[in-house]
Amino acid sequence: MDSPHEGNAAPDFLLPLWRAVVAFRLIAWVVAVAVFVRGWDRFPDHRIAIVLLVLMAAWTAVVTVAYSTDAGRRSRMAGYDLVVTVAFVAANLLTQSAAALSDGAPILTSLWATGPIFALAVERGRDGGMIGAVAIGAALIALRQRIGDQEIFNTTLFLVAGVTLGYAATTTRRATSVLREALAAEGATAERERLSRSIHDGVLQVLAIVRRRGTEIGGDAAELSALAAEQEVALRSLMTSRPTSSGGQVDLAATLRLRATSRIEVVTPAGELMLARRTVEDIVAAVGEALNNVVEHAGSDARAWITAEDLGDRLLVSVRDDGVGIAPGRLVVAQESGHLGVAQSIRGRIADLGGTVALQTSSGQGTEWELTVPKARP
Amino acid sequence: MTRVMIVDDHPMWRESVARDLGSRGYDVVGTAADAPSAVRIAAAVRPDVVVMDLQLGTTSGVDATRDIVAAAPDTRVLVLSASAEQDDVLDAVKNGASGYLVKSASLDELDDAVGRTADGDAVFSAGLAGLLLGEYRRLHDAPDDDAPTLTERETEVLRLVSRGLSARQIATRLTLSHRTVENHVQNTLRKLQLHNRVELTRYAIEHGITDDPE
Repeated sequence: MDSPHEGNAAPDFLLPLWRAVVAFRLIAWVVAVAVFVRGWDRFPDHRIAIVLLVLMAAWTAVVTVAYSTDAGRRSRMAGYDLVVTVAFVAANLLTQSAAALSDGAPILTSLWATGPIFALAVERGRDGGMIGAVAIGAALIALRQRIGDQEIFNTTLFLVAGVTLGYAATTTRRATSVLREALAAEGATAERERLSRSIHDGVLQVLAIVRRRGTEIGGDAAELSALAAEQEVALRSLMTSRPTSSGGQVDLAATLRLRATSRIEVVTPAGELMLARRTVEDIVAAVGEALNNVVEHAGSDARAWITAEDLGDRLLVSVRDDGVGIAPGRLVVAQESGHLGVAQSIRGRIADLGGTVALQTSSGQGTEWELTVPKARP
Repeated sequence: MTRVMIVDDHPMWRESVARDLGSRGYDVVGTAADAPSAVRIAAAVRPDVVVMDLQLGTTSGVDATRDIVAAAPDTRVLVLSASAEQDDVLDAVKNGASGYLVKSASLDELDDAVGRTADGDAVFSAGLAGLLLGEYRRLHDAPDDDAPTLTERETEVLRLVSRGLSARQIATRLTLSHRTVENHVQNTLRKLQLHNRVELTRYAIEHGITDDPE
């Protein structure tokens, strides 16, 4: 079995930087060989120079292996690298006389010695880069026994490179850890959602039992039963409503499901009904108006059904109640007397969307609003 | 006497429903708490109606429904679920359940639903009708020539069911007989179940699953 978070492991964005540090070191060693070959005549003792080059190669191999493994990168290798490299810089005294060195004789560790600056910068950020740059700069100055333009220029360059790379490494490290946290949080949320689904299901079960038993027992228990019924509907609509929106579009089905109560049933297809936000707002407002009408006129025992059906290019939304119904002419009276409530809110809004409204009602048979709305706004 | 079996992982619920249905004159011939034992017991006792929950611990009522309908074709499955998962409900009816009721339904509603299921009618809530309308729309939009479609009359009937009208109210409004309305509702379900079986068979052939492991 895989651990649940294994699939979420964040990539280590520092890896490319470490690879660059290793590659730089290898190239720098080749440069050291080139310095030796080009300056052949200026090295008094070739055997010592060759021994130094071989030792440099050995150390290059050691740090290459160390910087290429997780364990090596986690150890304090860059610090040891700095100490050993400073010793290599001092070892140039074996290949050249002190006088020749202060005269600008070629040294084998010139570019190679800057390796630990970058390793420290990647390992410890800005401060690491700075310490490496100062240490290597000072070692070269001590070796040459002089502070000329070249030395100042080199040290400044080391500092700029070390500090810049250090900043980059720190930023990268933060980005990696933020990503890792985000991925862990995502995994935890998915797990919590899975758990909450099963817990909610258990709660729904218990509420259903309370409702049944309460009704059977009657009396005070019937009141408990009614309360349980309300909570059951509320929880179910919470579980099935995922008000989603993306790119200015909103899920009409999920938005309508929020209106469900123990007296109002919301019927939708299983998936989403994504529409422009304004369209959804207008439809929901029209549905709300029709529902208010139910509350005011249909009687307190009336039940209502809201349905939303996808017809391809149009939507069919209905609000039906099983109440007393609206007597013929009442709507017209309302419109003429200036009480535009039902008429304007529903007909007006839906007409603005390019849709139509049909009303079926008669005394004693409830009211049924049928809204047909094009999906695209006019 | 109608023989009923109750499948639910909640012992208190099983007892409560068994007692209620017993008091209404049903013969409760078996109960089960998970899908495998539900299938085994149903195959042995052959009840007329199985009252099926969808969340059976770690097992699924949808699987149990499919296997029971396959093993005992005369047995009808009525889903009685607290589940709010619409996809589960749709899957259950596609896999052979002939009706769906939420657990918060009253005893009268449950009594009526079990009786109608035993008579061979489809028991539809408004919510299930809405899900079916959505499913037919999805099939209509999918690039599949064999997908079932609804006749105009069936769409009309299903739409009225989704708005909470009873079969009798629909019959009055459309001036049809009550029986005709029931037949239309059943057809909408049968076409979907048939299509689902064809799809499963096609899938099995395409993937080289040629024989039942049993």
